[in-house]
Amino acid sequence: MSHSGSPLSSEKAMDIVNNVKSSSHRIRNSIASIIGIVVLAGCATNAPQDTWQPRGDNAQVINNLQWIIFPMAGVVGVLVFAFAAYTFWKFTDRGQPIPSQSHGKPIVEIILTIIPALILTVVGVFTFRGIFELSNTEDTQMVINVTGQQWWWEYDYPAQAEQGITQPIITSGQLVIPVGTKVLLRETSRDVIHSYWIPALNGKKDAVPGRINLLRLQADKPGLFAGQCTEFCGLSHANMRMEAIALSKEDFAKWVANQQKAYTSPAEGTLAKEGEGVFLNQCIRCHQVNGLKKADGTPAIAAPDENVYSGAAPNLSHLMTRNTFAGAKFDLLNQSCRKDVWGAKPDAIGTKYLSGVSESCLNATALRAWLRNAPAMKPMYSDPTKLGPSGGKYRGMPNLGLTETDIDKLVAYLLTLK
Amino acid sequence: MSTNELTLTPSQSPSVVNKLSVSPSQSLGAVRRPVNTKGWREWLFTVDHKKLGIMYGAVAFTFFIVGGVEALFIRLQLALPDGRILSADKYNQMFTMHATTMIFLFAMPMAAAFANYFLPLQIGARDVAFPRLNALSFWLFLSGGLILNASWFLGGAADGGWFMYAPNSGPVFSPSNGVDFWILGLQIAGIASLIGSINLIVTVLNMRAPGMTLMKMPVFTWMILVVQFLLVFSLPVITVALVLLMFQRSYGATFFDVSQGADPLLWQHLFWIFGHPEVYVLILPGFGIISEVLPTFSRKPLFGYPFVVFSGASIGLVGFGVWAHHMFASGLGPVSVAVFSMATMAIAIPTGVKIFNWLLTMWGGKIWYSAAMKFAVGLVILFTIGGLSGVTHAVAPSDTQQTDTYYIVAHFHYVLFGGMVFGLFSGFYYWWPKIFGKMLNEKLGSWNFWFMVIGMNLTFGPMHILGLQGQPRRMYVWTEARAGEGLFNLGFWNMVSSIGSFVLAVGVLFFIINVIKTARNPERAPLDPWDARTLEWLTASPPKVHNFDRIPVVHHLDEFFHRKYEEDETTHTMKQVATGEELIRAEEAAADADIHMPGASYWPLLLSIGVATLGMGVLYGTPIMVVGALVVIFSSFGWVLEPSVPEPIDFDTPSHDGHTKEIAPLG
Repeated sequence: MSHSGSPLSSEKAMDIVNNVKSSSHRIRNSIASIIGIVVLAGCATNAPQDTWQPRGDNAQVINNLQWIIFPMAGVVGVLVFAFAAYTFWKFTDRGQPIPSQSHGKPIVEIILTIIPALILTVVGVFTFRGIFELSNTEDTQMVINVTGQQWWWEYDYPAQAEQGITQPIITSGQLVIPVGTKVLLRETSRDVIHSYWIPALNGKKDAVPGRINLLRLQADKPGLFAGQCTEFCGLSHANMRMEAIALSKEDFAKWVANQQKAYTSPAEGTLAKEGEGVFLNQCIRCHQVNGLKKADGTPAIAAPDENVYSGAAPNLSHLMTRNTFAGAKFDLLNQSCRKDVWGAKPDAIGTKYLSGVSESCLNATALRAWLRNAPAMKPMYSDPTKLGPSGGKYRGMPNLGLTETDIDKLVAYLLTLK
Repeated sequence: MSTNELTLTPSQSPSVVNKLSVSPSQSLGAVRRPVNTKGWREWLFTVDHKKLGIMYGAVAFTFFIVGGVEALFIRLQLALPDGRILSADKYNQMFTMHATTMIFLFAMPMAAAFANYFLPLQIGARDVAFPRLNALSFWLFLSGGLILNASWFLGGAADGGWFMYAPNSGPVFSPSNGVDFWILGLQIAGIASLIGSINLIVTVLNMRAPGMTLMKMPVFTWMILVVQFLLVFSLPVITVALVLLMFQRSYGATFFDVSQGADPLLWQHLFWIFGHPEVYVLILPGFGIISEVLPTFSRKPLFGYPFVVFSGASIGLVGFGVWAHHMFASGLGPVSVAVFSMATMAIAIPTGVKIFNWLLTMWGGKIWYSAAMKFAVGLVILFTIGGLSGVTHAVAPSDTQQTDTYYIVAHFHYVLFGGMVFGLFSGFYYWWPKIFGKMLNEKLGSWNFWFMVIGMNLTFGPMHILGLQGQPRRMYVWTEARAGEGLFNLGFWNMVSSIGSFVLAVGVLFFIINVIKTARNPERAPLDPWDARTLEWLTASPPKVHNFDRIPVVHHLDEFFHRKYEEDETTHTMKQVATGEELIRAEEAAADADIHMPGASYWPLLLSIGVATLGMGVLYGTPIMVVGALVVIFSSFGWVLEPSVPEPIDFDTPSHDGHTKEIAPLG
C-alpha cells in the first residue's frame, strides 16, 4: 500500500508542461486563426448593439482590453482542451494494469499555480490602467443630465455657452451629441435603477435614484448608435431603448439652434390648431411643450407629478426633430425614411437627421395607435382600477379614450412641433 | 412488558424494532414518539439521514423539472422576435422563478441530498450530529419551496428577478404579492440551509471514524464542509436583506426608499455578499462529486489532494471578497472597481488549479467511461469554458460591455449547468446503486449524457454571440431592428438556442426514463460496482439504517480502495488482495453488538408547519400568525422534552430473540 513511486515522474511532469508550451508555439497561430474565422463567420453583421464595434474613445479603451483578454482566454482554452482531449484518449482503459497510486507532484502544482497567476497579473495591469482611464472626467467638454424613468430616458442639456446652448434643452428618446467632443453624462433615475448603455460609445453605467453616476461618451464620426436599458427595471424593461446621434459640430449647432427656437402656434383654422386645443385639453396634464399658451394667453404648464408616479413625462417640444417616441420603442419615421437616415454615410447623416419628420415620412400607424390606446402598445401600469399601490398615479401613459377625430387633429398638431 | 435494558443487535435497528406492535407503559416527552413507523409514516417522521437525503433529492428533482419547464417557456418566448407566448408580466415572473427555483429549490437542496446521504457514510458515521434538526431542515426547505411556488396560484409570482434589486422590488413597483411569497419562501428555506449547515459542520468535525484525520477525508466531504461554512457566513446576510425588504413591503419601512434618505445600493451589497458565496455554494458540491468520480474511474487517487482541498477552501474564502463584481456598472468608483476586479481574477487561480488536478488525475490512469465518468468529464470541459468567459468579465471595463447581456447568461450557465448540474448527474449515476441497490442503465445514461451535452451547448453556446452582439438579458421580447444582418444574425442564434433547450429537455427525459426503467428492473446492483475508493461503499447497498455494522478504522485516504489493493513492489502497479464484497462480509461478521439509533419524531414536521403558517400570517393577517406561533411554541417544547435517542421504554420488548443478522443482498 505504499504511495512511493509515481507514473508521473518529475521529468514526465515537465514533459507535460513542455508539451503544452511547444504545442502552443506550433499550433497557436493556425488554430487561433481558424477559430477566429469560425467565430466571426458565425456572427451577425451590423448588429446595432455589437460590443466589438467601438465608435469612440471610451469604447475603444474597452475594446483594446477585450482584444487582450479574449484571445488570451481563447489560447488558454485551446491548450487546456488539447491537453484534456489527449488525456481522455490516451489513458482510456485498454486493459492496462491499475496504475500506482500517486498522489501528485507538488512541483507540478506550484508551476500550474504560478503560470495562471502570471498571466492574470499581466491582464490585471492592463485592466487597472483601463479602469482609471475610463473613470477620468477632468477634460470633459460638455455635460448632459440623463434621467431614467419607467420606461424612457430624459436628456437635459444645461446651458453651456461653449456648445452654443444658451438655455436648457430637454428632450427624450434620442441623445444628440457633437462628434469629437468629450461628453459627460450625469445619470440618475426618478424611480427604479436603470442602466445606460450605448455599446458603440462606452460600457454601461447604472442610473440609480438618489445618486449621480458619471459616464463619458465620445463619438469619432457622425452616426446613429443603438442602445438599450440593461438594468431590469420592471414591466416594460425590454421596451426601454435608446439611440444616440452624433452630429458634426456644425450640424450639432444647427440642432441646438432649432431646439432653442421659440414656439409657433399653428395658423388659425387649420386642423393642427384644433389639435393644439386637444393637446391643451388632454396631453398638457403630463407633457410639456415649451412656449405653448392656453386660450387665455397664459402659459400652459404640465404637471406630470400629479399624474405620474415617477414625476415626469417626456417633454414634447420639437418632437418631430426626433426619430422615435415612447422610450425609443417606436419609430416616428416610417420604414423607408428611417432606412434612409440610418443607412446614410457619416457625412450625410447630419442633414438627413436634421430634416426631422415630415408628414410623408411620419409613421402614422404607430403614432395613431399609441394615441388611441398606449397601454396596448407597450405594457405599463396604467389601468386606472389598479393604481392603489402608487396612490392613484400612473406608471406609463394611460388610454385617453380619444376619438378618431381627436387623433387626426393631434397628429396634425404634433407634426408642427419641429 | 417493558424492560429497562434494551439492546439492539445490528438487526434490530429501530426500523426493525418499530415493526413490532407497541404499547409503552409510560409516555415520554409531550406525546409519545412515533414508533410504529411503516409506510408513509416511515418517511414523514424519519430522522434517518438517508431517508431525508432521498426526500431532498426527490423534491429537488421535482423542482428541477418545474424550473426546467419555466426555462422552456422562456426559450419559446424568445425563439422568434416579438414573442407572444408570454405577456411581459408573465415573462418577468418566469425568469425570476426559473432562477429562484433552480438555485434555491433545485441546486442547493440537491447538493443537500447528496451531502445528507453521503457525508455520514463517507466519514464512517451512523448519522448526522443532530438527526431531528436534519429532518427540520428538510421540512422547512419543502415549506419554503411550496410557499414560493404557491404564488403562481395566488396572484402571480415574484417579478423582480432572483436578485430582486431595490427599489424595483418595493410595494409600488411590484404591487402583486409575488415578492412577499418570495421573501417568505426564501427566509424559510434559508433557515433550513442554515440549520443544515451547522448540523453538517458539527457532524464532520465530531463524528469522523477513528483514524480519519481531516486530510484523510474524501474530497466530496471536504467540499461539502467548505460549502457549509460559506452558508453559515453568507445566509445571515441575505436573511437581513430579506427581513429589511419584508418590513419595507409589509410594514411600511423605508430601508431602500431614496425619498426617505435610503440608498438602494444597500440591497445590492447585501444581496451579493450573500450572492457570490452562493455561487460557490452551488458549484463546490459538483466539484466534490467529480473529485470522487474521476479518481474512481481513472483508478488513481485524486492528483494533488491537498491542493484540491485548499483550492476549494480558498475559493470559498476569496468568494467572500468579490461580490462587487456583480456591480461594476452601478457606480462604485474606480478604486473599488479595480480592487474587486483584481480579486475576481485571483479567484481564477485556485479554480484553474482544480481543473489541472482533475486532468492530471486522469493522466496515467486507466479510464472507464461510465455514464458517471462521462458527466464528470463533461463538467471539466464545460466548466473550463465558463471559467474562461468568467475571466473576460473579471476585466471590469470589458464587463461593462457584457454585464446584463446574454454573454453573462451563457457564462453562468456553463458554470452552473455545465459545472453543477453535470456534477449532480455524475453523482446520480455514480451513487444510484449505493442509494437504491440498483444500477441505472448505462446505455440510457449515455443517451442522457449526449443529449444533455449537445443540448446544453446548443442552448448556451449561442448566447455568447447574442450577448457580445448586444442582446440584453431579462427582456420579454427582442426586436429584429437590433438583430443585425446576415444568416447568422441574432434571430438565428435565438432560434438555435431555443431548439437547443428542447434537446436538453430530451436529455433530462432520458434520465427520467432511466430512473423508471431501473426501478422496474428487479436485478440488484453489485455491492461494489465501480471498484470504488471511499467508505460509503464499505457497507450494504442500500446501507442499513445504522450504516456500518462496525465503525471502520481509517488508515488511508481512499480507505476502501487500499483495503482492496496493495502495490506490487516491483512493478508499482496495484494488485487486488480482496474484493469489496469480501470486505463487506467481514464487516458484517464482526458487527457491533450495541447500536443505538436516533428515533423518529413528530416535532420536525410539526415545527416546520408552524413556521410556514407563521410566514403566511405576514401576508394573510395576524390571526394566522398567532396560530403559527402557537404551533411553533408547542412543537419546540415537545421537541425539547423528547430524548433524541429513544429510551427502551419507547419500545416493546422484541418478540423474537433478535439474533438474525441483516445481510447485504448480493448483486
